[in-house]
Amino acid sequence: MATPGQLMFARGLSPTARLIIWMLLGASLAVADVRLGALGVLRSTFSRVMQPVQQATLAPFQLAAGVGGFLVRHHELQQERDRLRDERLGLQRELYAARDSQRENQELRSLLALARRPGQSALAANVLYQGQDWFSRRITVDKGASSGLREGSPVIDAQGLVGQVTRVYPGASEVTLISNSEQLTPVFVARTGQRALAAGASQIDQIEIRFIPIHADIQPGDLLLTSGIDKVYPPGLPVARVIRITRPQGGAYARVECVPLAGVSRDRALLILSPAIEAPRP
Amino acid sequence: MRRSREVAQESSAGWLRIVITLVVAVLFKQMPWSGWALTLRPDFVLVVVLFWALHRPSRVGMGMAFALGLLSDFQDGMVFGQYGMAYVLGVYAVQYFRLRFLQFDAAQQSAQMLPIFLLVQVLVLVVGWLSGRSPQGINILLPALSGALVWYLIAFAAQSLHGRNALRQ
Repeated sequence: MATPGQLMFARGLSPTARLIIWMLLGASLAVADVRLGALGVLRSTFSRVMQPVQQATLAPFQLAAGVGGFLVRHHELQQERDRLRDERLGLQRELYAARDSQRENQELRSLLALARRPGQSALAANVLYQGQDWFSRRITVDKGASSGLREGSPVIDAQGLVGQVTRVYPGASEVTLISNSEQLTPVFVARTGQRALAAGASQIDQIEIRFIPIHADIQPGDLLLTSGIDKVYPPGLPVARVIRITRPQGGAYARVECVPLAGVSRDRALLILSPAIEAPRP
Repeated sequence: MRRSREVAQESSAGWLRIVITLVVAVLFKQMPWSGWALTLRPDFVLVVVLFWALHRPSRVGMGMAFALGLLSDFQDGMVFGQYGMAYVLGVYAVQYFRLRFLQFDAAQQSAQMLPIFLLVQVLVLVVGWLSGRSPQGINILLPALSGALVWYLIAFAAQSLHGRNALRQ
Protein backbone atom coordinates (compact mmCIF):
# COMPACT_ATOMS: atom_id res chain seq x y z
CA MET A 1 0.00 0.00 0.00
CA ALA A 2 1.30 3.45 -0.85
CA THR A 3 1.72 5.79 2.08
CA PRO A 4 -0.68 8.72 1.83
CA GLY A 5 1.62 11.71 2.04
CA GLN A 6 3.85 12.85 4.87
CA LEU A 7 1.12 12.41 7.45
CA MET A 8 2.19 9.59 9.59
CA PHE A 9 5.88 9.65 10.20
CA ALA A 10 6.57 9.89 13.90
CA ARG A 11 3.12 8.47 14.56
CA GLY A 12 2.69 4.99 15.86
CA LEU A 13 -0.21 3.75 13.86
CA SER A 14 -0.69 3.67 10.12
CA PRO A 15 -3.88 5.28 8.73
CA THR A 16 -5.20 1.84 7.84
CA ALA A 17 -4.76 0.62 11.41
CA ARG A 18 -6.53 3.72 12.71
CA LEU A 19 -9.31 3.24 10.17
CA ILE A 20 -9.83 -0.32 11.40
CA ILE A 21 -9.88 0.77 15.04
CA TRP A 22 -12.49 3.47 14.40
CA MET A 23 -14.56 1.04 12.30
CA LEU A 24 -14.55 -1.51 15.12
CA LEU A 25 -15.57 1.19 17.59
CA GLY A 26 -18.39 2.31 15.26
CA ALA A 27 -19.55 -1.26 14.72
CA SER A 28 -19.64 -1.96 18.46
CA LEU A 29 -21.61 1.26 19.02
CA ALA A 30 -24.09 0.18 16.36
CA VAL A 31 -24.46 -3.24 17.94
CA ALA A 32 -24.90 -1.70 21.40
CA ASP A 33 -27.56 0.60 19.95
CA VAL A 34 -29.53 -1.90 17.88
CA ARG A 35 -29.16 -5.19 19.77
CA LEU A 36 -28.89 -3.97 23.35
CA GLY A 37 -30.61 -0.58 23.15
CA ALA A 38 -27.94 0.68 25.51
CA LEU A 39 -27.32 4.15 24.12
CA GLY A 40 -30.42 5.99 25.34
CA VAL A 41 -28.24 8.09 27.65
CA LEU A 42 -26.06 9.24 24.74
CA ARG A 43 -29.13 10.10 22.70
CA SER A 44 -30.76 12.15 25.44
CA THR A 45 -27.46 13.96 26.08
CA PHE A 46 -27.27 14.91 22.42
CA SER A 47 -30.92 15.93 22.60
CA ARG A 48 -30.33 18.21 25.59
CA VAL A 49 -27.36 19.88 23.85
CA MET A 50 -29.01 20.21 20.46
CA GLN A 51 -32.47 21.34 21.52
CA PRO A 52 -31.63 25.06 21.84
CA VAL A 53 -29.91 24.80 18.46
CA GLN A 54 -32.98 23.17 16.94
CA GLN A 55 -35.23 25.89 18.35
CA ALA A 56 -32.87 28.64 17.18
CA THR A 57 -32.60 27.40 13.60
CA LEU A 58 -36.37 27.11 13.40
CA ALA A 59 -36.98 30.71 14.55
CA PRO A 60 -36.10 32.52 11.27
CA PHE A 61 -38.38 30.18 9.31
CA GLN A 62 -41.27 30.72 11.73
CA LEU A 63 -40.72 34.48 11.44
CA ALA A 64 -40.74 34.23 7.63
CA ALA A 65 -43.94 32.18 7.74
CA GLY A 66 -45.47 34.81 10.06
CA VAL A 67 -44.58 37.66 7.70
CA GLY A 68 -45.83 35.64 4.73
CA GLY A 69 -49.14 35.05 6.51
CA PHE A 70 -49.47 38.76 7.24
CA LEU A 71 -49.23 39.62 3.56
CA VAL A 72 -52.04 37.29 2.43
CA ARG A 73 -54.38 39.16 0.13
CA HIS A 74 -57.44 40.76 1.66
CA HIS A 75 -60.03 39.01 -0.45
CA GLU A 76 -58.52 35.62 0.24
CA LEU A 77 -59.13 36.34 3.90
CA GLN A 78 -62.72 37.37 3.19
CA GLN A 79 -63.32 34.19 1.22
CA GLU A 80 -61.87 32.15 4.02
CA ARG A 81 -64.04 33.97 6.57
CA ASP A 82 -67.20 33.21 4.59
CA ARG A 83 -66.20 29.61 4.22
CA LEU A 84 -65.47 29.31 7.95
CA ARG A 85 -68.82 30.92 8.81
CA ASP A 86 -70.67 28.33 6.74
CA GLU A 87 -68.57 25.61 8.24
CA ARG A 88 -69.31 26.80 11.76
CA LEU A 89 -73.03 26.64 11.17
CA GLY A 90 -72.70 23.07 10.02
CA LEU A 91 -70.39 22.18 12.89
CA GLN A 92 -72.69 23.67 15.49
CA ARG A 93 -75.49 21.46 14.33
CA GLU A 94 -73.20 18.45 14.53
CA LEU A 95 -71.95 19.55 17.93
CA TYR A 96 -75.44 19.46 19.40
CA ALA A 97 -75.98 16.02 17.95
CA ALA A 98 -72.59 14.89 19.24
CA ARG A 99 -73.28 16.22 22.76
CA ASP A 100 -76.54 14.42 22.78
CA SER A 101 -75.01 11.11 21.75
CA GLN A 102 -72.10 11.60 24.14
CA ARG A 103 -74.51 11.93 27.02
CA GLU A 104 -76.38 8.89 25.85
CA ASN A 105 -73.11 7.04 25.36
CA GLN A 106 -71.94 7.85 28.88
CA GLU A 107 -75.10 6.49 30.35
CA LEU A 108 -74.85 3.30 28.32
CA ARG A 109 -71.18 2.89 29.18
CA SER A 110 -71.78 3.30 32.87
CA LEU A 111 -74.48 0.72 32.54
CA LEU A 112 -72.07 -1.65 30.86
CA ALA A 113 -69.10 -0.59 33.08
CA LEU A 114 -66.79 -0.41 30.09
CA ALA A 115 -63.30 1.00 30.22
CA ARG A 116 -62.83 4.50 28.85
CA ARG A 117 -61.64 4.67 25.28
CA PRO A 118 -57.95 5.53 24.74
CA GLY A 119 -56.95 8.91 23.40
CA GLN A 120 -58.96 11.02 25.83
CA SER A 121 -56.26 13.51 26.72
CA ALA A 122 -54.41 15.41 24.04
CA LEU A 123 -51.27 17.54 23.92
CA ALA A 124 -50.45 20.06 21.19
CA ALA A 125 -46.94 19.92 19.70
CA ASN A 126 -44.97 21.59 16.95
CA VAL A 127 -42.74 19.88 14.40
CA LEU A 128 -39.11 20.75 15.08
CA TYR A 129 -37.56 19.23 11.99
CA GLN A 130 -37.45 16.15 9.80
CA GLY A 131 -34.24 14.14 9.75
CA GLN A 132 -32.65 12.81 6.57
CA ASP A 133 -33.13 9.22 7.69
CA TRP A 134 -33.03 6.88 4.72
CA PHE A 135 -34.35 3.91 6.63
CA SER A 136 -37.56 5.21 8.13
CA ARG A 137 -39.84 8.23 7.90
CA ARG A 138 -39.79 10.22 11.06
CA ILE A 139 -40.22 13.73 12.38
CA THR A 140 -39.06 15.32 15.62
CA VAL A 141 -41.55 17.31 17.70
CA ASP A 142 -40.94 19.76 20.53
CA LYS A 143 -42.68 17.91 23.39
CA GLY A 144 -40.99 15.15 25.37
CA ALA A 145 -40.90 13.27 28.63
CA SER A 146 -41.07 16.56 30.57
CA SER A 147 -44.59 17.07 29.15
CA GLY A 148 -45.58 13.57 30.16
CA LEU A 149 -45.22 11.92 26.75
CA ARG A 150 -44.73 8.19 26.53
CA GLU A 151 -43.54 5.92 23.76
CA GLY A 152 -46.40 4.54 21.75
CA SER A 153 -48.69 7.57 21.88
CA PRO A 154 -50.70 8.15 18.67
CA VAL A 155 -50.14 11.47 16.86
CA ILE A 156 -52.84 13.17 14.78
CA ASP A 157 -53.41 16.41 12.92
CA ALA A 158 -56.65 18.13 11.88
CA GLN A 159 -57.21 15.67 9.00
CA GLY A 160 -56.27 12.32 10.53
CA LEU A 161 -53.65 9.97 11.90
CA VAL A 162 -50.01 11.04 11.45
CA GLY A 163 -48.06 8.35 13.30
CA GLN A 164 -46.85 7.13 16.63
CA VAL A 165 -44.28 8.41 19.15
CA THR A 166 -41.33 6.01 19.06
CA ARG A 167 -38.53 7.72 20.96
CA VAL A 168 -38.92 10.14 23.84
CA TYR A 169 -36.23 12.60 24.95
CA PRO A 170 -36.51 15.01 27.87
CA GLY A 171 -37.65 17.94 25.72
CA ALA A 172 -38.38 16.41 22.33
CA SER A 173 -39.57 13.17 20.81
CA GLU A 174 -39.49 11.30 17.54
CA VAL A 175 -42.67 10.37 15.69
CA THR A 176 -42.62 7.50 13.19
CA LEU A 177 -45.03 8.34 10.38
CA ILE A 178 -47.70 5.93 9.16
CA SER A 179 -46.02 6.08 5.73
CA ASN A 180 -43.00 4.27 7.20
CA SER A 181 -42.79 0.79 5.72
CA GLU A 182 -42.40 -0.95 9.07
CA GLN A 183 -45.22 0.96 10.74
CA LEU A 184 -48.41 -1.12 10.82
CA THR A 185 -51.80 0.47 11.45
CA PRO A 186 -54.91 -1.65 12.04
CA VAL A 187 -57.73 -0.11 10.00
CA PHE A 188 -61.21 -0.89 8.72
CA VAL A 189 -62.94 0.18 5.55
CA ALA A 190 -65.59 2.71 6.53
CA ARG A 191 -68.07 1.57 3.85
CA THR A 192 -68.01 -2.16 4.52
CA GLY A 193 -66.43 -2.61 7.94
CA GLN A 194 -63.77 -4.93 6.47
CA ARG A 195 -60.76 -5.00 8.80
CA ALA A 196 -57.23 -4.77 7.37
CA LEU A 197 -53.65 -3.85 8.14
CA ALA A 198 -52.16 -0.69 6.59
CA ALA A 199 -48.42 -0.08 6.24
CA GLY A 200 -46.10 2.36 4.49
CA ALA A 201 -45.57 1.75 0.77
CA SER A 202 -42.37 2.04 -1.21
CA GLN A 203 -43.47 5.36 -2.72
CA ILE A 204 -42.92 8.38 -0.53
CA ASP A 205 -46.11 9.56 1.19
CA GLN A 206 -48.18 6.52 0.26
CA ILE A 207 -49.47 3.62 2.26
CA GLU A 208 -50.79 0.23 1.20
CA ILE A 209 -53.09 -2.41 2.66
CA ARG A 210 -51.33 -5.67 3.22
CA PHE A 211 -52.91 -9.13 2.99
CA ILE A 212 -56.39 -8.19 1.87
CA PRO A 213 -58.11 -11.05 0.02
CA ILE A 214 -58.27 -10.57 -3.73
CA HIS A 215 -62.08 -10.58 -3.87
CA ALA A 216 -62.59 -8.29 -0.88
CA ASP A 217 -65.17 -5.54 -1.43
CA ILE A 218 -62.98 -2.46 -1.67
CA GLN A 219 -63.09 0.39 -4.20
CA PRO A 220 -61.08 3.50 -5.02
CA GLY A 221 -62.35 6.34 -2.87
CA ASP A 222 -63.01 4.14 0.17
CA LEU A 223 -62.10 5.71 3.49
CA LEU A 224 -59.92 3.82 5.99
CA LEU A 225 -60.38 4.45 9.72
CA THR A 226 -58.42 3.08 12.67
CA SER A 227 -60.13 -0.01 14.02
CA GLY A 228 -58.75 0.34 17.54
CA ILE A 229 -58.20 -3.39 18.03
CA ASP A 230 -54.57 -2.78 18.97
CA LYS A 231 -55.70 -0.56 21.90
CA VAL A 232 -53.11 2.00 20.81
CA TYR A 233 -55.08 4.12 18.38
CA PRO A 234 -58.55 5.22 19.39
CA PRO A 235 -61.06 3.72 16.95
CA GLY A 236 -62.50 5.85 14.16
CA LEU A 237 -59.56 8.14 13.35
CA PRO A 238 -59.35 8.80 9.59
CA VAL A 239 -56.17 7.26 8.18
CA ALA A 240 -56.19 7.17 4.39
CA ARG A 241 -58.21 7.09 1.20
CA VAL A 242 -57.90 4.27 -1.36
CA ILE A 243 -56.70 5.51 -4.76
CA ARG A 244 -55.91 2.40 -6.78
CA ILE A 245 -56.53 -1.33 -6.59
CA THR A 246 -54.81 -3.95 -8.71
CA ARG A 247 -55.86 -7.59 -8.50
CA PRO A 248 -52.98 -9.72 -9.79
CA GLN A 249 -53.99 -12.84 -11.76
CA GLY A 250 -53.49 -15.91 -9.66
CA GLY A 251 -52.42 -13.98 -6.56
CA ALA A 252 -54.13 -14.42 -3.22
CA TYR A 253 -53.99 -10.76 -2.19
CA ALA A 254 -55.06 -7.54 -3.85
CA ARG A 255 -52.66 -4.62 -4.08
CA VAL A 256 -54.32 -1.55 -2.59
CA GLU A 257 -52.62 1.84 -2.78
CA CYS A 258 -53.81 4.65 -0.52
CA VAL A 259 -52.85 8.22 0.32
CA PRO A 260 -52.76 9.33 3.97
CA LEU A 261 -55.37 11.96 4.81
CA ALA A 262 -53.15 13.77 7.30
CA GLY A 263 -50.44 15.98 5.83
CA VAL A 264 -47.97 13.38 6.99
CA SER A 265 -44.79 15.11 5.87
CA ARG A 266 -46.07 18.67 5.52
CA ASP A 267 -47.53 19.33 8.96
CA ARG A 268 -46.30 21.96 11.38
CA ALA A 269 -48.75 21.56 14.29
CA LEU A 270 -49.79 18.19 15.68
CA LEU A 271 -51.83 16.70 18.50
CA ILE A 272 -50.46 13.85 20.62
CA LEU A 273 -53.01 11.56 22.29
CA SER A 274 -52.32 9.31 25.24
CA PRO A 275 -52.46 5.55 24.71
CA ALA A 276 -54.77 3.57 26.95
CA ILE A 277 -52.24 0.88 27.73
CA GLU A 278 -48.47 0.66 27.70
CA ALA A 279 -48.01 0.14 23.97
CA PRO A 280 -45.19 -2.03 22.66
CA ARG A 281 -42.60 -0.37 20.43
CA PRO A 282 -43.45 -0.80 16.77
CA MET B 1 11.18 34.20 18.26
CA ARG B 2 9.16 36.28 15.83
CA ARG B 3 8.65 33.27 13.66
CA SER B 4 7.27 31.17 16.54
CA ARG B 5 4.75 33.87 17.51
CA GLU B 6 3.54 33.96 13.93
CA VAL B 7 3.17 30.25 13.99
CA ALA B 8 1.20 30.42 17.25
CA GLN B 9 -1.11 33.11 15.86
CA GLU B 10 -1.58 31.18 12.67
CA SER B 11 -2.48 28.04 14.60
CA SER B 12 -5.14 29.66 16.80
CA ALA B 13 -6.63 31.44 13.78
CA GLY B 14 -6.65 28.09 12.02
CA TRP B 15 -8.62 26.44 14.83
CA LEU B 16 -11.07 29.32 14.94
CA ARG B 17 -11.76 28.99 11.23
CA ILE B 18 -12.24 25.24 11.49
CA VAL B 19 -14.63 25.47 14.44
CA ILE B 20 -16.69 28.27 12.88
CA THR B 21 -17.12 26.42 9.59
CA LEU B 22 -18.09 23.23 11.40
CA VAL B 23 -20.67 25.04 13.54
CA VAL B 24 -22.13 26.70 10.44
CA ALA B 25 -22.31 23.30 8.73
CA VAL B 26 -24.16 21.76 11.71
CA LEU B 27 -26.61 24.70 11.73
CA PHE B 28 -27.21 24.33 7.98
CA LYS B 29 -27.95 20.68 8.49
CA GLN B 30 -30.32 21.48 11.36
CA MET B 31 -32.54 23.83 9.36
CA PRO B 32 -36.10 22.56 8.81
CA TRP B 33 -35.57 20.91 5.41
CA SER B 34 -38.49 19.02 3.93
CA GLY B 35 -39.62 17.27 0.76
CA TRP B 36 -37.23 17.19 -2.17
CA ALA B 37 -34.88 19.71 -0.58
CA LEU B 38 -34.44 17.22 2.27
CA THR B 39 -33.77 14.35 -0.12
CA LEU B 40 -31.22 16.38 -2.05
CA ARG B 41 -29.71 18.04 1.02
CA PRO B 42 -25.93 17.70 0.84
CA ASP B 43 -24.22 16.52 3.99
CA PHE B 44 -22.69 19.88 4.89
CA VAL B 45 -20.84 18.51 7.91
CA LEU B 46 -19.20 15.79 5.82
CA VAL B 47 -18.13 18.30 3.16
CA VAL B 48 -16.54 20.58 5.75
CA VAL B 49 -14.85 17.70 7.57
CA LEU B 50 -13.35 16.35 4.34
CA PHE B 51 -12.31 19.85 3.27
CA TRP B 52 -10.31 20.34 6.47
CA ALA B 53 -9.02 16.77 6.33
CA LEU B 54 -7.58 17.72 2.95
CA HIS B 55 -6.19 21.13 3.89
CA ARG B 56 -5.40 20.80 7.62
CA PRO B 57 -4.76 17.07 8.07
CA SER B 58 -2.93 17.60 11.37
CA ARG B 59 -6.05 19.16 12.92
CA VAL B 60 -9.04 17.34 11.49
CA GLY B 61 -8.57 13.60 11.43
CA MET B 62 -10.51 10.43 12.03
CA GLY B 63 -11.30 11.14 15.70
CA MET B 64 -13.06 14.40 14.97
CA ALA B 65 -14.79 12.84 11.96
CA PHE B 66 -16.10 10.05 14.19
CA ALA B 67 -17.40 12.47 16.83
CA LEU B 68 -19.17 14.61 14.22
CA GLY B 69 -20.52 11.43 12.64
CA LEU B 70 -22.16 10.51 15.94
CA LEU B 71 -23.76 13.96 16.02
CA SER B 72 -25.10 13.35 12.50
CA ASP B 73 -26.42 9.98 13.60
CA PHE B 74 -28.36 11.73 16.32
CA GLN B 75 -29.61 14.53 14.05
CA ASP B 76 -30.99 12.14 11.47
CA GLY B 77 -32.21 9.58 14.01
CA MET B 78 -29.94 6.83 12.68
CA VAL B 79 -28.25 3.95 14.45
CA PHE B 80 -25.27 5.27 16.42
CA GLY B 81 -22.02 4.65 14.58
CA GLN B 82 -23.58 4.60 11.13
CA TYR B 83 -22.40 8.04 10.05
CA GLY B 84 -19.48 7.79 12.49
CA MET B 85 -17.93 4.93 10.52
CA ALA B 86 -18.85 6.50 7.17
CA TYR B 87 -17.15 9.84 8.00
CA VAL B 88 -14.00 8.01 9.16
CA LEU B 89 -13.90 6.12 5.87
CA GLY B 90 -14.28 9.42 3.96
CA VAL B 91 -11.37 10.97 5.88
CA TYR B 92 -9.26 7.89 5.21
CA ALA B 93 -9.94 8.13 1.47
CA VAL B 94 -9.12 11.85 1.42
CA GLN B 95 -5.88 11.28 3.32
CA TYR B 96 -4.97 8.51 0.92
CA PHE B 97 -5.38 10.69 -2.18
CA ARG B 98 -4.39 13.94 -0.47
CA LEU B 99 -1.27 14.86 -2.42
CA ARG B 100 -3.04 14.15 -5.68
CA PHE B 101 -6.12 16.23 -4.80
CA LEU B 102 -4.01 19.24 -3.86
CA GLN B 103 -2.73 19.45 -7.44
CA PHE B 104 -6.21 19.81 -8.89
CA ASP B 105 -8.41 22.83 -9.54
CA ALA B 106 -11.91 23.02 -8.05
CA ALA B 107 -13.75 21.21 -10.85
CA GLN B 108 -11.26 18.33 -11.00
CA GLN B 109 -11.31 18.06 -7.21
CA SER B 110 -15.08 17.86 -7.00
CA ALA B 111 -15.16 15.25 -9.79
CA GLN B 112 -12.70 13.15 -7.77
CA MET B 113 -14.61 13.75 -4.54
CA LEU B 114 -17.84 12.34 -6.00
CA PRO B 115 -16.73 8.68 -5.68
CA ILE B 116 -15.64 9.36 -2.10
CA PHE B 117 -19.02 10.88 -1.24
CA LEU B 118 -20.69 7.90 -2.92
CA LEU B 119 -18.50 5.51 -0.92
CA VAL B 120 -19.56 7.23 2.31
CA GLN B 121 -23.27 6.96 1.43
CA VAL B 122 -22.89 3.32 0.40
CA LEU B 123 -21.33 2.53 3.77
CA VAL B 124 -24.26 4.26 5.52
CA LEU B 125 -26.62 2.16 3.39
CA VAL B 126 -24.80 -1.10 4.12
CA VAL B 127 -24.59 -0.50 7.87
CA GLY B 128 -28.27 0.41 7.94
CA TRP B 129 -29.08 -2.78 6.07
CA LEU B 130 -26.99 -4.88 8.44
CA SER B 131 -28.72 -3.30 11.41
CA GLY B 132 -31.95 -4.77 10.14
CA ARG B 133 -33.72 -1.79 8.64
CA SER B 134 -34.66 -1.80 4.97
CA PRO B 135 -33.78 1.41 3.14
CA GLN B 136 -36.63 3.38 1.57
CA GLY B 137 -35.40 3.65 -2.02
CA ILE B 138 -31.94 4.48 -3.29
CA ASN B 139 -32.40 8.24 -2.88
CA ILE B 140 -29.67 7.82 -0.30
CA LEU B 141 -27.12 8.24 -3.08
CA LEU B 142 -28.40 11.70 -4.11
CA PRO B 143 -26.60 13.71 -1.39
CA ALA B 144 -23.32 12.50 -2.90
CA LEU B 145 -24.09 14.52 -6.05
CA SER B 146 -25.12 17.64 -4.17
CA GLY B 147 -22.11 17.16 -1.87
CA ALA B 148 -19.77 17.19 -4.87
CA LEU B 149 -21.48 20.37 -6.08
CA VAL B 150 -21.04 22.08 -2.71
CA TRP B 151 -17.43 20.89 -2.70
CA TYR B 152 -16.91 22.62 -6.06
CA LEU B 153 -18.33 25.91 -4.74
CA ILE B 154 -16.23 25.79 -1.55
CA ALA B 155 -13.03 24.75 -3.31
CA PHE B 156 -13.54 27.41 -5.98
CA ALA B 157 -14.08 30.09 -3.33
CA ALA B 158 -11.07 28.96 -1.29
CA GLN B 159 -8.79 28.78 -4.30
CA SER B 160 -9.77 32.18 -5.61
CA LEU B 161 -9.38 33.73 -2.14
CA HIS B 162 -6.05 32.20 -1.23
CA GLY B 163 -4.60 31.01 -4.52
CA ARG B 164 -4.17 27.36 -5.25
CA ASN B 165 -0.54 27.20 -4.14
CA ALA B 166 -1.22 28.70 -0.70
CA LEU B 167 -3.61 25.86 0.08
CA ARG B 168 -0.91 23.25 -0.51
CA GLN B 169 0.50 23.11 2.97
